[in-house]
Amino acid sequence: MTDVVIAAYRRTPFHFAGKGALAKVRGDEMAAAVVRALVADTGIDPATLEDVVMGCAFPEGEQGLNVAKLVAFMAGLPESVAGVTVNRFCGSSMQSVHQAAGAIRMGAGEAFICAGMESMSRVPMMGFNPMPNPGLAKSFPQAYISMGETAENVAMRHQISRAEQEAFSVRSHHKAAAAQAAGKLAAEIVAVAGVEQDGCIRADSSAEALAGLKPAFRADGTVTAGTSSPLTDGATGLLVCSAEYARRHGLKPLAKVLSIAVAGCAPEVMGMGPVGASRKALARAGIQAGDVAVVELNEAFASQALACMRELGIDENRVNKDGGAIALGHPLGATGARIVGKAAQLLQRDGGRYALATQCIGGGQGIATLLEAL
Amino acid sequence: MSIRKVGVIGAGVMGAGIAAQVANAGVPVVLLDIVVGGAAKAVERMLRADPAPFMGKAPARLVTTGDLGTDLALLADCDWICEAIIERPDAKRALYAQLEAVRKPGSVVSSNTSTIPLAALTEGLAEGFATDFMVTHFFNPPRYMRLLEVVQGPRTRADAVAMVSAFGDRVLGKTVVRCKDTPGFIANRIGGMWMQSAINNAFDLGLTVEEADAVNGRPMGIPKTGVFGLMDLVGIDLGPHVAASMKATLPADDAYVQGLREHAVITTMIAEGRTGRKGKGGFYVRVKGQKLAMNLADGSYRESVKPMLESLALRNLRELAEHPDRAGRYAHAVLLDMMGYAASLVPEIADTIADVDAAMRLGYAWKYGPFELIDRVGAPWLVAALRAAGRPVPKLLEQIGPRSFYRVQDGVLEFFGTDGTYHAVPRAEGVLLLGDIKRRSTPLLKNSSASLWDIGDGVACLEFHSKMNALDPDILGLIGKAVAMGRKGAFKALVIHNEGEQFSVGANIGLALFAANIAAWGEIESMIEGGQKAMRALREAPFPVVGAPSGMALGGGCEVLLHCDAVEAYAETYIGLVEVGVGLIPGWGGCTTMLRRWAEAPRMPKGPMPPVAKAFEMISTAQVAKSATEAKEMMLFRSTDGVVMNRDRLLAAAKARALAMVEGYAPQARASLRLPGATGRAALSMAVQAQVAMGRATPHDVVVCDALANTLTGGDTDFIVETTEDQVLALERQGFMALLKTKGTLARVEHMLETGRPLRN
Repeated sequence: MTDVVIAAYRRTPFHFAGKGALAKVRGDEMAAAVVRALVADTGIDPATLEDVVMGCAFPEGEQGLNVAKLVAFMAGLPESVAGVTVNRFCGSSMQSVHQAAGAIRMGAGEAFICAGMESMSRVPMMGFNPMPNPGLAKSFPQAYISMGETAENVAMRHQISRAEQEAFSVRSHHKAAAAQAAGKLAAEIVAVAGVEQDGCIRADSSAEALAGLKPAFRADGTVTAGTSSPLTDGATGLLVCSAEYARRHGLKPLAKVLSIAVAGCAPEVMGMGPVGASRKALARAGIQAGDVAVVELNEAFASQALACMRELGIDENRVNKDGGAIALGHPLGATGARIVGKAAQLLQRDGGRYALATQCIGGGQGIATLLEAL
Repeated sequence: MSIRKVGVIGAGVMGAGIAAQVANAGVPVVLLDIVVGGAAKAVERMLRADPAPFMGKAPARLVTTGDLGTDLALLADCDWICEAIIERPDAKRALYAQLEAVRKPGSVVSSNTSTIPLAALTEGLAEGFATDFMVTHFFNPPRYMRLLEVVQGPRTRADAVAMVSAFGDRVLGKTVVRCKDTPGFIANRIGGMWMQSAINNAFDLGLTVEEADAVNGRPMGIPKTGVFGLMDLVGIDLGPHVAASMKATLPADDAYVQGLREHAVITTMIAEGRTGRKGKGGFYVRVKGQKLAMNLADGSYRESVKPMLESLALRNLRELAEHPDRAGRYAHAVLLDMMGYAASLVPEIADTIADVDAAMRLGYAWKYGPFELIDRVGAPWLVAALRAAGRPVPKLLEQIGPRSFYRVQDGVLEFFGTDGTYHAVPRAEGVLLLGDIKRRSTPLLKNSSASLWDIGDGVACLEFHSKMNALDPDILGLIGKAVAMGRKGAFKALVIHNEGEQFSVGANIGLALFAANIAAWGEIESMIEGGQKAMRALREAPFPVVGAPSGMALGGGCEVLLHCDAVEAYAETYIGLVEVGVGLIPGWGGCTTMLRRWAEAPRMPKGPMPPVAKAFEMISTAQVAKSATEAKEMMLFRSTDGVVMNRDRLLAAAKARALAMVEGYAPQARASLRLPGATGRAALSMAVQAQVAMGRATPHDVVVCDALANTLTGGDTDFIVETTEDQVLALERQGFMALLKTKGTLARVEHMLETGRPLRN
């Protein structure tokens, strides 16, 4: 069977939406910069690409129409390359990888740009025209539940205290800051509009400072802005191709895709989505959680990240070694490709056989990708 | 030459505040400070301050900051450089010498000194500097206090004084009062004397701080902070500095110097850092939400209590001053000191009594200047009281005899001059005051709450004069009659303006509550409908209607302005649709107009939700713009509406605007809107639920928000069909009526009427 590999990973810096350094940069500009860098880095002939699969959680306004094809134009890809925009909310660009992997396996193309983008500065969460179905909103209101509420629900159901959440957030910031200081993030970052470094990381984050914040979503809650991923601007891209294509083009792949899965869950605890999806992916690969050396578990909220680790029996030492979304930021559509790319990169950098990238998705689902070292 | 760029040196409270006001006027300004990075920090601090020195975010971008040590060259292209550094003549003179090297020829330098005579500041400096130098004394906070004292030296160029005065008046919006070069100029000389007397007499007569403040407050027309509250506000440690400077510059036999005393309790307060609001409390302090007041006798604190003295209930100032209780004796003593002193200082400190009164009204926010106060008690009473106390009677008081300092002669307000005759109170060129027009004419229409005046050139002015200018059936009725008159050609344009402190605080909810209590629902509904008709009559009148607000324009007051063809607003206008505070929604077209404004706004995202979401956010949180500039950002004013910096020039600007619109005028046509209906309501409901979860929305907020959401989303409409303005107006009425029938809303209305504050139920 054809092996699918992650051949390259790049991303823009991630910055706070609204007040950050990328607030004035359109999402398509960020994505185009990443695609250009992937092509340049790998030296491939872009005419050999099948498709640009672009994840975006709110594909409207400046990231609307079929932004994947527009980005292909902006990045100077030949007309022969197609483009499709995919939306699975926070899982959008991991879905890009899944679509490409499926296509490669069935011989429907050899090489894909699997990217994701989100300018949360320029296209608001919920979009410009939130228009829920009034009937569903009444009969099943949790279908539209706010993300913060779900984080509170998870914290309550899984008894994750505020102090635990804060300690987790501080660790995320410290890991990200250490990685940044050691230059471990530099290689993956593509400068955009003169911005070269991530902007959300707080090296001086402390439990004391976080303890002073007010609950962000529920007056008597435990979740604060400090234990939530921030609204972020950024774009990410991967070159996903067949092992054969990589060999033919002299590429040095980071890892191969072993199995993939998605799984639905109750929307009011959407943060637990990674549990079902990861279990499916592990089962499909025939391995146990304990076999996984590297885990990228998206930190939408500290409460759900902690609860998922606990449920899956994953040791935090293996999780988000270069920091997670609480520190780095979470540009919705761009995150999935980042954590797949990061997991692949870490397998190569730090060793180990298996890596898991997984994330929760608003509305009640999870997505997971299992990688294997080459 | 005119002033296109300004430099301010010294980024303390005054310098930074002056720079902010220059920026508020849209003029670029350089702000320098001796402390490295100090000016930039001052701008940061001002962006967070409340009350805000800046009128919006845009003005702050007009301030260029720098360090005095390295960035003096930034002043090279400034037309006016205002110095506001430490009050030391040597430091100021050294700075002026430095300025000579960088400033451009013809530029003007002024000092914001409040204590140092101009003569001392120019000593030893080049002749060319003295001709370009003057004093421009602003009051704190510079944005809000309308007085600018201007002092010129014997050598100051007349055109320099004219240029800076014109800029202060027309651009910065200040009333420029020309002062003589005497210590403390006008306002601080008399204000300082008043404070000293008010403090000394409180100690001597054994008043509590609350009693003293109550006497100085409402009865004398001084802001309700009185004297001790004012000291807390400005900083108690300022007192000894002012006293020292007055002692150094005034003759020893001056009554001010004679009265200087040190109070051990106050000295201790300063030593302990109890310097007022900026320090660890002052004469008043809040501890865990409880207001405490200090005992003047020993400096200890106790719970603050409302003073209960018979004399304080008296409305007549003279009766208060003659009352035998301690508040009465106190009023008598303070009035004698302050009024007697003021009368002794004209023409020493100012040419006219009108200048003195204007300075006290605008610089200290007194309702009446000292001579207006003398008219209230009567000059003969004051003369008799001074004689009885064995005090000298100032010449001016002997001159005036039984007459009053002000009179109206042939419809013109006149003041008593030092030459013993009356003169018209001068108005700056281009100033048009409704008060002046009212003195010399009779209204075209009038009832107990509103009047219509002919303000010349075929323009009429609709004036509200109900309590707080609350809108009632009389006002709505007069709007209808005025429009009918205009339709018949009685005038060609209408201005809506008044000179009250507030343009209008909104509909008279007391009337609505009364009607609701007797279940007169039909009457209420017809009042809502009548209001809608009146607003529509304004908008669809065949002549231009221009609103000219200042102060608060809330609720219905805001809706009146939303229905004008144009607005010329005083910069200090605070406008908003605040109905939710009393559990209601805007019912006089406020919802409809805001939907339309946001839908028609450039750069708004397309689709049915953005205008709805914007209007919902503003109205559901009762947002009030904190300046006319901010009101434009909120679409409560249009981008084409005017902002007038000087309140005295507001009516003239509105009249000119109205006249300019006459030719080819056509009223705005009714519009159709694309509203989302039920789906929009579901989206807004989710947003409200999130606020509930955060503890920011109360149960009755949810009820009010539901009604608001129903109106703004167009009820049962769908975005593929057009919703007319009339349909939205009908929804406004329905929502308003439904809410008025809820217990929660009635409780809010009652609470507001009783306490003046919104109830969070």
